[in-house]
Amino acid sequence: MPWVEKYRPRKFSEIKGQDEAVLKIKDFLKNFGKKKKAMLLHGPPGTGKTSLAHVAAKENKFEIFELNASDLRNREKLRTILKPAIQQKSLQNDNKLILVDEVDGISEYDYGGVGELLEIIEGTTYPIIITANDIWDKKFNLLRKKCEVLQLKEIGYDIIKSVISEISKIERIEINDDFTTELAIKAKGDLRAAINDLQTLSKIKDYLSIILDERNKETDIFNSLRKVFKEKPTNETLGVFDSVKMSIDDIILWVEENIPAEYSGKELARAYDLLSKTDVFRGRIYKQQYWRFLVYENIFLSYGIASVKKDAKTGFTTYKKPTRILQIWMNNQRTVYKKSICEKYSAYVHVSKKRAMNEFPVIKQILKANPLIQKELKLEDEEIEYLRL
Amino acid sequence: MVSSIWTERYRPIKFSEIVGQDNSVKRVEALTNSLNIPHMLFAGPAGTGKSTLALIVVKELYKENWKENYLELNASDERGINVVREKVKNFARTKSLGNIPFKIIFLDEADALTPEAQQALRRTMENYSATCRFIMSCNYSSKIIDPIQSRCALFKFKLLEKKDVEQVIYKIAEAEKLTINPAAVEILYEGCEGDCRRCINILQSTASISPSITAELVATIISNTKPRDIKVVLDYALSGDFQKAKEKLLDMMLRESISGQDVIKAIQKEIWNLPIEPTMKVKLTEKTGEIEFRIVEGSDPFIQLQSLLASFVLAGLGKE
Repeated sequence: MPWVEKYRPRKFSEIKGQDEAVLKIKDFLKNFGKKKKAMLLHGPPGTGKTSLAHVAAKENKFEIFELNASDLRNREKLRTILKPAIQQKSLQNDNKLILVDEVDGISEYDYGGVGELLEIIEGTTYPIIITANDIWDKKFNLLRKKCEVLQLKEIGYDIIKSVISEISKIERIEINDDFTTELAIKAKGDLRAAINDLQTLSKIKDYLSIILDERNKETDIFNSLRKVFKEKPTNETLGVFDSVKMSIDDIILWVEENIPAEYSGKELARAYDLLSKTDVFRGRIYKQQYWRFLVYENIFLSYGIASVKKDAKTGFTTYKKPTRILQIWMNNQRTVYKKSICEKYSAYVHVSKKRAMNEFPVIKQILKANPLIQKELKLEDEEIEYLRL
Repeated sequence: MVSSIWTERYRPIKFSEIVGQDNSVKRVEALTNSLNIPHMLFAGPAGTGKSTLALIVVKELYKENWKENYLELNASDERGINVVREKVKNFARTKSLGNIPFKIIFLDEADALTPEAQQALRRTMENYSATCRFIMSCNYSSKIIDPIQSRCALFKFKLLEKKDVEQVIYKIAEAEKLTINPAAVEILYEGCEGDCRRCINILQSTASISPSITAELVATIISNTKPRDIKVVLDYALSGDFQKAKEKLLDMMLRESISGQDVIKAIQKEIWNLPIEPTMKVKLTEKTGEIEFRIVEGSDPFIQLQSLLASFVLAGLGKE
């Protein structure tokens, strides 16, 4: 089970970092009927919009009735499903809460969808909660007027950090404080992303030992980068990376990550120009097996990139560890199902896996909508689940 | 069993059903009827009927035994030429079933093999020529080395024309009870760029939302498949925020698994919509061309694209 589900809040008290929003939503439900009939919850991804709606329903013992943007596209479907739901009182339960999730999924071609939603708000006898990331598009002008608008803030990094620490305790992951901090900062206010990252990383057993190992190498590379980025080049600059115990490919990644931290404008462009030429020579070495090209790789990467600045730079800069490889790796973990689906699909319809991956957005919609195809391709439950995400 | 995937359900099963490739199809049909085919090379863009034609040939020759006598390999998916050789070897070892004295190996996207790998493949073709015929497909015949080309009969496939695509669309629309208007067909045709597979996939994708296919709906589906955010990336770069542009680029490429080549294609097109001087557009296009060349040559797409973004930052400052 994905941890984001496992640790989804069940009570108001479990919702972290959104105290004000919790009060407002309680108030909205308590006074329903007196004011506007719908509440528009908006805010960046992973701030708890959907969770908030579900908890609100649960705490008030409301039955929840959920729609998403693709349902709104289809008027027929809406009429048949939703209208009776709005009008009839449900048998077991007196009260319902209608949740329209991710309304900004309505595309610019679906004005009809927004219109439908406005009609529903007009006619409802039950409270409606609508969630969205961005509501400032003009297509939502009317909707904003019809709803009470409640903005959710990005979740503070300290709160994210405490949630991650808590989960790692329950899941028995040994994780040090620096690393939790790093994860929390990287999440940029998106709690869901942070929990997902934690779960992904927990699968690599010795991830933490890898990190510690890297720490030792870092002092060397920091010093070398400082020389390249801060000082005017001298002949010594040519050997600046010699003492670093990393492959030149890794050093390229470090330089790539940190150029924007020091250079801007013209210097930035020239530095990247040289870095891209370094990369061109790297490719030529592999292709031709002509190792003398290493000379050019090395000169551009050290002296070349040092030479682009007009004046020596002062001040202290914290250089960042290259994140790209880790990001690629984590992304691959997230897309394993996409790959396995494409594998099954491509074998079946005589195309390459690569092509299936390229056309996945179209294919996904086809597979998602048709259980017969899912059966035909023998998709596993996890794969079908992935399609729904 | 009839497939629920339309590209399969409506895959032509007779020579006469393939649209837009009359010339090649007629020649291949004649060869097939003679029950003896040479090695063949099918060259042409994606989704124009190469795999389909190969399948028809095989089914015509072997009838119900076709599966035993046919091996399909995709050069871009197999890990290296050795895997290809190994599979060919195992397949070619046994005799064909029925009265045709050879089996058929279909090697799709053969131009994904490096020239060295193609040399190795050429040896394999020679070694098994007594028991096997090769049908190879590629996008560009120029990417296939001469020794292989000279061993094959070459058949060219062209992009489907509007009337061909229309014919396919209306046939499917009728069979699937879809309503579709000419405006929607037009957008579908433009969006698929002459690629029949893509056309059918977009049609099915649209139909999975609603059986009445409108131009708007098709446009939505198509816009969902394009690297949409490229404009955002370039806007950040032009406004001088390199860091944001870089983050967005990486995020977009990873999240939607867009290749470096697709990104650069989108950038090249987007340059013409940017609010910059004509001379600047040309300069950026020059740079874009160089970067595309490097990526095709095998350079690291992230590094190359970042260097391109840095040029956009300069363009935004009004400098070179």
